[in-house]
Amino acid sequence: MTPFISIQSVTKIFQKGQSLIKPLEDLSLDVPQGEFLSLMGPSGSGKTTLLNLIAGIDRPNSGKIIIDKREVSGLSRAELTRWRARHVGYIFQLYHLVPILSAYENVELPLLLGKLGKAERQERILAALDLVGLADRADHRPAELSGGQEQRVAIARAIVHDPGLLVADEPTGDLDRESADGILKLLGSLADDHGKTIVMVTHDPRAAAAAHRSLHLEKGRFVESPTGHSVSASPSR
Amino acid sequence: MLPFTYALRNLFRDPARLFQTVGGSAVVVLLMMAAVALDDGMDRVLAASGSPRNVILLGKGSEESVERSEVSLEVEAAAGAIPGVASVLGVEAISGEITYQAPIRTASGHESQALMRGVLERALLVHTTVALREGSFPGPDEVMVGHLAHRKLGVSADELGVGQLLYFGDSETRISGIFEAPGTVLESEIWFDRNNLASLSQRDSLSSVTLRLDEGKTDEAELFAFQRNDLELSAIREDRYYEKLGLFYEPIKVMTWVTAALVAAGALFGGLNTLYAAFASRIKEMATLQSIGYTRLALLASLVQESLLATLTGTLVAFVTGYFLLDGRTVPFSIGTFTLILTPSVIAWGLVTGLLLGSVGALPPAIRCLLPSLPKALRSD
Ligand SMILES: Nc1ncnc2c1ncn2[C@@H]1O[C@H](COP(=O)(O)OP(=O)(O)OP(=O)(O)O)[C@@H](O)[C@H]1O
Ligand SMILES: [Mg+2]
Repeated sequence: MTPFISIQSVTKIFQKGQSLIKPLEDLSLDVPQGEFLSLMGPSGSGKTTLLNLIAGIDRPNSGKIIIDKREVSGLSRAELTRWRARHVGYIFQLYHLVPILSAYENVELPLLLGKLGKAERQERILAALDLVGLADRADHRPAELSGGQEQRVAIARAIVHDPGLLVADEPTGDLDRESADGILKLLGSLADDHGKTIVMVTHDPRAAAAAHRSLHLEKGRFVESPTGHSVSASPSR
Repeated sequence: MLPFTYALRNLFRDPARLFQTVGGSAVVVLLMMAAVALDDGMDRVLAASGSPRNVILLGKGSEESVERSEVSLEVEAAAGAIPGVASVLGVEAISGEITYQAPIRTASGHESQALMRGVLERALLVHTTVALREGSFPGPDEVMVGHLAHRKLGVSADELGVGQLLYFGDSETRISGIFEAPGTVLESEIWFDRNNLASLSQRDSLSSVTLRLDEGKTDEAELFAFQRNDLELSAIREDRYYEKLGLFYEPIKVMTWVTAALVAAGALFGGLNTLYAAFASRIKEMATLQSIGYTRLALLASLVQESLLATLTGTLVAFVTGYFLLDGRTVPFSIGTFTLILTPSVIAWGLVTGLLLGSVGALPPAIRCLLPSLPKALRSD
């Protein structure tokens, strides 16, 4: 079976003033559909860079990225934007909700890019909010929610348009343990019950443990994880 | 496209900033309208003051200034020979006049430079726009004042009411009437009985002789001035005379525009700066919206929408302020008084200014804000 995400010999180079930074070098990775994958590694190891490439936020300098049979590394900036709108949900460490919009309106944002009518949108938004357990907070503004609730709204926003791929950059990094556990459970069920493919960056081993598989990135390459777990080439489930 | 409410609510995110943007654009729009209204008003009064059927005979060499011109008394009679001079009930429309500028004092003691004209009743046949509003034509030791003369003198209208006294040197004159001459510079003048002004100003010659001719006969007056070389006259059509005066005021208009432009530029940069700050504080949010799938163009449109809302509100404020502050306001200048009017063209200029401020003005801050690459913008703090 073809993997949902296939990263083939990807190199990413940034230019910082005179010097070149190569956060990712000749990196390859396959992720099957429905897998919940966690990426760990020290700060600056290239986790966010890799996540951005997978999410179509950025493009590699060389190598190929194929997601759901489409080569996204070959898309133009405008094509990537359109692709993201339909196929990706991005979850940020600091939620990145729009503060002047209610939870409902925040979740509505991805749907406004599609062709759904108002009633259909409402149905989807309420379903997404219900799934994250915040149906009763639809009218609240982000400032009126706790961090954990904000992240739930962010997750609702990431899934409302039913993308196949979710990427999350330290989604529990700013949350207390209890809220973090709730978020991880939610992500787990999105993979297990809804077939989403999830790539999550985390510093927290507890979060990594919630994933199906965990990879360790160091200086732009996958390494044997320092905790002794081997980096399995095939998914562990 | 982002919903309109997004742009609308963004406006109220920072009330202080909103106030600055609205206020700044209101100032710019108001200045623009004031400059256009000044320009228009001056043109309007000069255009209304001269008739294409009137010809002014001036002393040779003083075409630029009636005050310095000297025309001998006999010219008035001689001009009767010009073919085509209009006449009413047998009286020819020929008006020998003395134009004089000197300080005049009102009853309250206020003294200022006045535009005086010494005329006989015949003048009304030439200056056809002049009509008495109140009182009567002046006799000896009397004057009639244009209804805007008080603006030129800088006193209240009451001080130039019928029956009030004016002091010119040692002599005292009574205001016998108030006249109007809609839209012309004459409305700022003080009209004396000609003989009276001649003795007050110690002149024994006229300043000019103005004739009203039948349609298409103005050439005859020019021919007359040419043929009667001995009278040392120069003839100029009245409308051309005021047109020429207008050229003299061009530098003043340029100054008005430069001043308006400078103040507007200050307000504009202030406003731009607030927009920069407002947009820059949302770089991460806009990056998030891009990651969701909104194009930069959609975000740009929303930002322009937002700034247009602010500047058009400012424009509205400027319209209301202009209505109370500018509309109908009379502005004295050296040869008369003109009126600022919020004509459709003034309003249109204001609106165009507001639209340009909101759209073109928002582009640099918006583009600067949308320019960083998406990964960079997402990690910015
Ligand atoms: N837009 C950019 N321009 C220049 N350098 C960049 C850019 N983005 C990332 N880098 C550099 O690439 C390297 C990898 O960064 P990345 O953000 O992927 O690390 P990370 O593993 O996510 O770190 P952290 O755990 O701190 O988030 C770092 O050295 C970083 O400075
Ligand atoms: Mg990172």
